[in-house]
Amino acid sequence: MVRFTKAGKFLSYVFLTIYALIIVVPFAMMVLNSFKSMRELFMKPFSLPSTFRFDNFAKAWKFANIGTGYRNSLIVASVTVLIVILLASMFAYMISKYDFSFRRGMFLYTMLGLALPARLAVIPIFVLLRNLNLTNSLAGLVLVYASTNLPFSIFILKNFIDAVPNELCEAARMDGAGVGYIYYKLILPLVKPALSIVAIVTFVNVWNDFFFPLILINDRSKATITLAVSIFFGEYSIQWPLLFAGLTLSIAPTVILFLIFSRFFIAGMTQGAIK
Amino acid sequence: MKVRTKYVLLFTLPALILYSLFVVYPLLDSLALSFYSWKGVGPKIFVGLKNFREMLFGNFSKEVFNAFFHNVYFFSLATVLELGLGFLIAFLLASKLKGAKLFRTVVYMPNMIPLVIVGFMWSLFLNPQIGLVNSFLKLVGLKALARPWLGDPSTALTSIILVNVWRHLGFYVLVILAAILNIPPDLIEAAYIDGASNWKIASRIVFPMVLPTFRTLLTLLFIGSFNVFDMVYAMTGVQAGPFRKTDVLGTVFYRTAFGGLGSAYVDMGLGAAVTVFIFAIVMPLSILYVFLVEGRERSW
Repeated sequence: MVRFTKAGKFLSYVFLTIYALIIVVPFAMMVLNSFKSMRELFMKPFSLPSTFRFDNFAKAWKFANIGTGYRNSLIVASVTVLIVILLASMFAYMISKYDFSFRRGMFLYTMLGLALPARLAVIPIFVLLRNLNLTNSLAGLVLVYASTNLPFSIFILKNFIDAVPNELCEAARMDGAGVGYIYYKLILPLVKPALSIVAIVTFVNVWNDFFFPLILINDRSKATITLAVSIFFGEYSIQWPLLFAGLTLSIAPTVILFLIFSRFFIAGMTQGAIK
Repeated sequence: MKVRTKYVLLFTLPALILYSLFVVYPLLDSLALSFYSWKGVGPKIFVGLKNFREMLFGNFSKEVFNAFFHNVYFFSLATVLELGLGFLIAFLLASKLKGAKLFRTVVYMPNMIPLVIVGFMWSLFLNPQIGLVNSFLKLVGLKALARPWLGDPSTALTSIILVNVWRHLGFYVLVILAAILNIPPDLIEAAYIDGASNWKIASRIVFPMVLPTFRTLLTLLFIGSFNVFDMVYAMTGVQAGPFRKTDVLGTVFYRTAFGGLGSAYVDMGLGAAVTVFIFAIVMPLSILYVFLVEGRERSW
């Protein structure tokens, strides 16, 4: 553990406090200014609002289609998480616990996906979905996100399943348990922490993505939250308090969830990139 | 354990099919498409290496290399700041400071917000007339520094990079912190007993011990820096600011493949060639990344 002298400690606190302010103040400014009138925002940008105008939020909610955005993002992210967890865990289980030809080949083939940035393939994805009549649909987004999140999820889950002792599986087998039974009753409960990491990372990836909706979705009723806010931004470029209100609303659910469950989020996201 | 083929197929095919259809096939098709000229509808015309010639040596090359060097600048500045500040802050947090836990939560918070939303938020703050950054500078008597940050060619790209650092730094801090906390405490204890200064401990013990983590992070930074798009789109639009001063390969690609007001070229084949170009830059490092992360667990 690193130690500091009194002076060193004091300097550390000063430095860290300044950094924390640089992070927190912009959020505070965004929220405070979303309660003001345009005139007040212009005249007194740093003061507390004289009256809290909640109607800015009501207007932003309506014009930015925040409700629709939440709903669509929630559907896409949840369905994607379910598919990814199911398919990745099945695959990782088979690769990790059984012998068969092409086992290593299959694993390396999926690991290629860790190295290939999926957005570089967006033109063929766009054309493929257009041919399948799945542009402008949430199902199309789900297919893209589920596939692109598979490699990482397989990687994490395989590491955890590898750690489950083979003797355990063999014993279950001796007792007459089948391949599916071992998966469902033994493996899945034992790798719950890994499943939650995969779920969190995938959910946040999907919820925060902007690139694929920008290209694959034209229809406003199908816009995810990020796309909804960006359309709104283009149209209301003068009404700043409304814009701030829209931004606040768009990030509120994630930030609130994060503040409640930050431990899990932090573990999930950092594992996500480094593991 | 042995297993019947029927089960292998049942458990692996769903993932393999989905992954092949929406990740592998599109990447290969992107490569194929780069040899064609195609408006997205109508006939595809085979043009051989013309797209690549145009991109590397033709009129289009000016735009591409302008963007490429912005990506390089992006990578360099983001690396210095994120790894440098990341290490410094992680080192401070590795001591027993009160409130370190709360601080970890605060620094990580921006990572939960979509890049495009962070971009919009800061584009309002950086606005020349009523943006908070300039208002703040006036308030503290530094009026001379106030400028149209995103409209001024000399500051636009750097501003975007700084906002990007604001968004990501917490992640680097936490990963480096985890690496520091993994160092056996005895090593550091022994150094203190020998009378080593914090500077010596940071440079001679902690830094060398977290170097493997730095390699992984550097690789991630490289891949990320050449795939930048959301933030530039949000802050300076697809035309990429004053005189394309914030253009990156991602925005060039978007304009080329999907259009944008005033784009000279709209050609999916040429767009695909741009992605192949990005891919050629990123691929070696990406493979290295897979080896780095895979190298930690040798289970085969």
